[in-house]
Amino acid sequence: MNIVVDGHNTFVATGGCTFNPKKPTVVFIHGSGLDHRSWALQARWFAFHGFSVFAPDFPGHSLSEGEPIKSIEGMGKWLVKALKVAGCESIHLVGHSQGFLVALEAVSCLRAELKTLTAVASATSIPVNEALVEAAKKTPGDAAEMLLKWGFGSQSKSGVSAIPGMQPIGIGMQIMSNNPLAEDLIACTEYKNGINCAKNAHIPSNVILATEDKNTPYRFGLELAGLLNAETTAISNAGHMLPIESPKNTLDAIKSFILKNT
Amino acid sequence: MGKSSFFGPETISLHTGYQPEPSFGSRAVPVYQTTSYVFETVDDAAALFNIEKGGHIYSRMTNPTVAVLEQRIAALEGGVGAICTASGMSALFVTFMTLCSAGDHIVSASQIYGSTGTLLKHTLKRFNIDCTFISINDEKALKEAIQDNTKLVFCESIGNPGLEVSDLPKISKIAHQNKLPLVIDATFATPALCKPFDHGADVVVHSVTKWIGGHGVAVGGVIVDGGSFDWGSSKKHPTLTTPYEPFHGINFWEEFGPSALSMKIRAESMRDFGPAMSPHSAFLLLQGVETLTLRMNQHVKNAVKLSKWLLEQSPVMWVNHPDLPENPTHEVAKILFPNGAGSMLCFGVKGGREGGAAFIDALKLSSNLANVGDSRTLVLHPASTTHSRLDDEAMKASGSSPDLIRVSVGLESIDDIINDFKAGLKAVDKATS
Repeated sequence: MNIVVDGHNTFVATGGCTFNPKKPTVVFIHGSGLDHRSWALQARWFAFHGFSVFAPDFPGHSLSEGEPIKSIEGMGKWLVKALKVAGCESIHLVGHSQGFLVALEAVSCLRAELKTLTAVASATSIPVNEALVEAAKKTPGDAAEMLLKWGFGSQSKSGVSAIPGMQPIGIGMQIMSNNPLAEDLIACTEYKNGINCAKNAHIPSNVILATEDKNTPYRFGLELAGLLNAETTAISNAGHMLPIESPKNTLDAIKSFILKNT
Repeated sequence: MGKSSFFGPETISLHTGYQPEPSFGSRAVPVYQTTSYVFETVDDAAALFNIEKGGHIYSRMTNPTVAVLEQRIAALEGGVGAICTASGMSALFVTFMTLCSAGDHIVSASQIYGSTGTLLKHTLKRFNIDCTFISINDEKALKEAIQDNTKLVFCESIGNPGLEVSDLPKISKIAHQNKLPLVIDATFATPALCKPFDHGADVVVHSVTKWIGGHGVAVGGVIVDGGSFDWGSSKKHPTLTTPYEPFHGINFWEEFGPSALSMKIRAESMRDFGPAMSPHSAFLLLQGVETLTLRMNQHVKNAVKLSKWLLEQSPVMWVNHPDLPENPTHEVAKILFPNGAGSMLCFGVKGGREGGAAFIDALKLSSNLANVGDSRTLVLHPASTTHSRLDDEAMKASGSSPDLIRVSVGLESIDDIINDFKAGLKAVDKATS
């Protein structure tokens, strides 16, 4: 569906079902340079099992208009506005990598309507190598390649795919190369408020980690889980691109937690 | 630019898409000779049917052995995904039927494989899908042929049998200016010699029966999705960008973006038309993929040596291979095929059809048959076989002629191929003296 936020058309994937703000809503927040498609194989399950799905493309990303937002704090505020426009009454936030930093920022602005918080392959901060940021400014395709080379785990790198016939690396390359990766990476690097937000997020939390994650290493994810007093799931043979490279395990970990807390 | 693996092509050919399975540790890709797959629960089955999760349901749509071949070829081409089919022709049919509906139109190169020409000219016409054939490197003709209802531009990277190289960067530019995808049959080149996605193609189709399989033991096709075409902005393919009723109104473009076409082909065409590749064929074809780069290098070497030798023989009237300066598209070939433009060559001998027949009938090592891309050298007289259904005008436009002998140069010792051809040329002399 399309909604208007701050005067710009915003695309929000709804998992293939009509959005109903009265149903408990699972909000999927994409990572740097990505879009709602990184959640394709998690969103549909929720949409067809009693939930509404709200998976926006952030401004300037893929199907959404507008300029990319330059800070995680700004993205958090934008998300809260978008959720208000949609009229969501009961919210489960799920963020991948940068998307979880955005979720952390949104937590303090949401009140009783927020039910749970889930981090997928994330940490309290995600500093990015300067060379990668510079590459993203000049040649987004090269930067996407660098990022994904780190991002995917050994199984995906050997071309094994959860979806028969597909190549997740190719899909990631296509999405990232065409989105404002540099702006997102700079926003991640400059974000320093994660620990504070996590300490104050008094909400049922879930942290899903990948054992081969090089971008937000496993031990940083465990630190995050400690701050949030969260349930933790470790997924092996996968890297930072969890929702794409290990979609079923990621879905199972999100769904068991949300079902328990709905 | 397409990229979907961080490995080099030789490594992709050997490893991509498979890690030794946990039960027995089979190093080779196992043949999953099964029609169907046990669901964990009823809910699990429902989720698979509704594309809420990935996995196998029924081997008409997907099969684990076939999936390895698909993922390997997708990685070699730099695509986002691939779908294997029962043959190269079914790969083309599925591609056209996924992108076109009744009342739509295709612009195609005239120099294409005879059966593809028949599909486009006659068979699809029965479904009210029209085609305009043009000389594909004629930019003016291409622009003029595109209509409001045109859904795709189609050509072969190296045309069959005239061996005209399609100028992919120029053709794709015109196609994209008109918001149309460029579909390439790249069978003659394989990803070892040319990666069409790097030159603007959007969909690549192969008959994997040919060089990719490479041993003449199994028939198969593949459609590779480049993932770069913006179906949403194009708005010319509503079945990809509007709700699709059979899957609860799924919008493939919104849901899957770069892989929208692959997902649509799998969900609709493989389900409804059913041209599945058998797991055993996939296994045989995978053996060929493992040595693709090595074989293509040798194929090209032999083809160039044989071409040059033929040029010096008196019964030979002309020789055509894209790596020869005599080929009108030689300069384009140098850019698109830096490692050689394949192992197909054509030549004519004195005496026209009679001379050609004498040549082919005298060969002992080379085989007279209707295939290309075998490890063995193959010869054919297209005017009597693959292109026999074409009238004179269409035959000329296709790049064929009554005297044309088509050669798929194999991997034998080049001296032995030349000796065999010497015997053939002697027979030409005898028949025409």
